[in-house]
Amino acid sequence: MVDVITQKKWDKVAPNFDLMAGGGGEVRWRPFKEALYANMRGKILFLALGTGLDIAAFPPGQDIVAIDISPKMLEIAKDRIAGYDGNLRAEVMDVHEMPFEPDSFDQIYTSCTFCSVPNPVEGLKALKRVLKPGGELFMFEHTGSRWYPFRYMMNIMTLLSERMGPSMNRRTTDNVRLAGFRIIEVNNIFLDVVKTIKAVKPA
Amino acid sequence: MDHRLFFVLGDFLANLAVGAIVGLICWAIVSPSWNMWIAMFAMMPVGTVVGLILFFPIGIKLGAMEVMVPLMFSGELSGMVVGMGAAMAVLTPGQAALLGAASGMAAIFFVWAANTLLRGVTREARER
Repeated sequence: MVDVITQKKWDKVAPNFDLMAGGGGEVRWRPFKEALYANMRGKILFLALGTGLDIAAFPPGQDIVAIDISPKMLEIAKDRIAGYDGNLRAEVMDVHEMPFEPDSFDQIYTSCTFCSVPNPVEGLKALKRVLKPGGELFMFEHTGSRWYPFRYMMNIMTLLSERMGPSMNRRTTDNVRLAGFRIIEVNNIFLDVVKTIKAVKPA
Repeated sequence: MDHRLFFVLGDFLANLAVGAIVGLICWAIVSPSWNMWIAMFAMMPVGTVVGLILFFPIGIKLGAMEVMVPLMFSGELSGMVVGMGAAMAVLTPGQAALLGAASGMAAIFFVWAANTLLRGVTREARER
């Protein structure tokens, strides 16, 4: 069953999402996202498409299944999905309830997703199930920081942000490891807060 | 740090402005009758929260984490410095704003330096 609380939270955020996330943040992150998505090949699962801001950074001609828990987010994404030069299909779906067969995808991509999945390790295990052995997980995520004063600030921010949307103090790299993936590379983009993570499902 | 001029200047000026605003707020709250330590520790969270609030309008143009973290740090540092200063001596609003702006500038330089050390590729990144 879909996590209705999380779904409602993101449905509520959807109308204003592009205002906060689509401006300076997207401009800053675009070069790093383009570099990450340049690795796309084979059958791809994209997690948490949101309003489709990331689509502009996708290389053309890919075969992508994108999911998001929020129907209102995907409604806003409709034009961006239609404008993609490739095969992009979007569905409302909870990561914990994906109906895909095991070992279905060559690659999985996430973008600022595991700050919001209520049970991140279980969510990552669900991704591992549908990823082929040896398949790759590419993540663009923001996490908590190991370092003072940043760690303390992310904790304060989380008290507020969790009510409206994401957590700011997740330990996503550790969660990827706990879910059974092998970390290949972590690239810190801003402090140790904004990063790309590359991991593989052991064969 | 982001080397695009818009973001470098934007980050710098935003942190200067937040520092100055927090400085003025501290000036309005703290008087020399306060204990210096209490003023300092009380104004740190006030500055952090002000930095966080100001992040929302500023972040629309300048970004997300790259703006939120420095602004909260600028607010905290400015609150600490100006809070302490206002408890130790009578400050004019101009002095409080200037001291706050200087704290904001120090904070963004610190974040840039920390970012230079922390960014980049690693294979063994752990978050605990």
